[in-house]
Amino acid sequence: MKFWEIGKRNLKEIYRNPVLLGFLLGMPVAFMLVFVAAAGGGQAGPIALSIADEDGSQKSSLFVQYLGIVGAIELNEPIYSEKSQAQEDLENGRISFYLFIPSGFEQAQQTQQTINLELVYMAADPMIGLQLKPMIEAAGSEFLGVAPLLNVELKGTESRIKNMAVNFYFPGIAVYGLMILISTAAGIIAGDREKGFLSRMFTTPARPWDFILGYSLPFIPVLIVSTLIYLGVGMALGLTIVGNLGYAFLIFFLIGLCAIGIGMIVGSLVKSESQAGVAWIFIVPMAMISGAWFTVDRMPSALKSVAGALPFIHGIDASRAVINGSPFSAIILDIYWLIGWAVVLFAVGIALFRRTMVS
Amino acid sequence: MNAVQTFKLTKEFDGLVAVNGIDLEIKKGELFSLLGPNGAGKTTTIRMLCCLLKPTRGTASILGYDVAKTPFAVKKLIGVSPQDTILSERLNCWENMALIGKVHGLSSNEVRKRSQELLETMGLMERAKDQVRKFSGGMKRRLSITMALVSDPQVLFLDEPTLGLDPQARRTIWEYIAGLKGKKTVLLTTHYMEEADFLSDRIGIIDEGRVVALGTSQELKTNLFGMRNMVVSTESLTAEVIADLHSKYSRVAVTKGQLKISHKDLDFKEIVNHLHSRGVTVYSAALEQPTLEDVFIEITGKKLRD
Repeated sequence: MKFWEIGKRNLKEIYRNPVLLGFLLGMPVAFMLVFVAAAGGGQAGPIALSIADEDGSQKSSLFVQYLGIVGAIELNEPIYSEKSQAQEDLENGRISFYLFIPSGFEQAQQTQQTINLELVYMAADPMIGLQLKPMIEAAGSEFLGVAPLLNVELKGTESRIKNMAVNFYFPGIAVYGLMILISTAAGIIAGDREKGFLSRMFTTPARPWDFILGYSLPFIPVLIVSTLIYLGVGMALGLTIVGNLGYAFLIFFLIGLCAIGIGMIVGSLVKSESQAGVAWIFIVPMAMISGAWFTVDRMPSALKSVAGALPFIHGIDASRAVINGSPFSAIILDIYWLIGWAVVLFAVGIALFRRTMVS
Repeated sequence: MNAVQTFKLTKEFDGLVAVNGIDLEIKKGELFSLLGPNGAGKTTTIRMLCCLLKPTRGTASILGYDVAKTPFAVKKLIGVSPQDTILSERLNCWENMALIGKVHGLSSNEVRKRSQELLETMGLMERAKDQVRKFSGGMKRRLSITMALVSDPQVLFLDEPTLGLDPQARRTIWEYIAGLKGKKTVLLTTHYMEEADFLSDRIGIIDEGRVVALGTSQELKTNLFGMRNMVVSTESLTAEVIADLHSKYSRVAVTKGQLKISHKDLDFKEIVNHLHSRGVTVYSAALEQPTLEDVFIEITGKKLRD
């Protein structure tokens, strides 16, 4: 168990270094506070309208399409056929509001009766309703002609999600925070190489995997504590986890393992602690295209493919899904993807580290 | 079987030859010193023997195991104290010893026993529980050597073990290393002449990547080069006379009216007569055996090295 001894040494070097420990564990708190403050608790993402069309007639479909070409409105896919589905997604924070078209829409139009629609939104965010109501009414009058009259009834609803902004930003921030383990893990290996400590250890019978495991192990408790801090601070700031907390933890843990794996690779390639800063060349673009800070819905498809091949977007998507109540079956592919990446990263790390043991 | 054996061992870095075809045979239990100026190739040689550098050409083996082909077999047999004192700074003595000992496969009990013995011998027991970042340079160096010994290695590499230490610390380490003679094979690099002289069974002088002289300290001083020193107490030495002596003899030094001349096959009578003929008063003159430093300078020259 040579790796265990190397791991013990590295753990002691970390927890006996107050500056490093403060950075590793204080950072999750600072990150969450800064990002949530910056987001201001406002509307996340573009204004996108979801539709629950229970009428399901040709007329109602045409009306929905017509709404889609109104400049200020963007339609969310898919169109719900039942109000209850839209209501559930609203309550779980997957959507921010929806327009309900009740059955009888076509008939009311044909019989020249007043058509009543409902715009359902979260009661905590009434501005959306006020903003959208006149738009929908104007578009409806234009689509249907002067008569019949179209009336949009505003209906606030209580969501299980306390703070939409926190729920939207949390997964990305947590994943970005865990990505910083890349530079920290790389920096510790590079620092030991620079000081000659690794050179000394290379004269012992320890094998490459002893070193990679030995340098990764101390980050496991750091990873666990960081994830707990992220979840704890997130919840204190209003994060609502509708789904399974354990799944959320598993996803963040796997993301952390991938970050440590990349750190091992960078640490194997660079020669000094200052060179380990090169890790940021990976961290920032990866965070950006993985949707850590903003939605990637409008990102070019080529870039989306790149992001899809990397591990982090799977972590962000899966954690967002779990937080909003998706079952395990919905994230299983993301979990496989993350496990696969972790295995590949550690294997590559070991292969690269082996090369550095003799020059 | 020799403990250390090299055959035409060569290392090149981007065309620059750092070690140039070294042949060494170090017997079991022997304390062998590699002596050389800065950049002579001492550390590169040690790094190849410790499996940290791959030889460009030639071979090297430790107790029969080839360093390039079976590095992990070699690593089980060796202990290394590198030139720079490299320790885990936030670990204490016990923890540093345990790290190296356990990575070598020792049990906790074995590590504790060996560490206790070594820390006591090296006078580190009193501070054994302190983090080593608070230690003086001498203490760190002593710990570095004890770490190299904790696994009870058969071959010990000590790269400049007393570099930068005060005389007391140096003496402590010398005494300990001297005590290992016959029990361990020790390969030591140094550029302190007195260290090599005091400790070594044999010395190899290495310069520009080659072993240029090999033998016991006594052999190097007397037999091999026929080098002799003459010390003359004089008066009325002129700059012209000194320049003249410089042109004739390998080394000429003047301090407080005392003239020291070093040269191969030096002729006592010829020098006295020469000084008389140039009007120099000679009060006394005596022959001395050369020091290892004289031999070293004679072989490696006086040019500064980097």
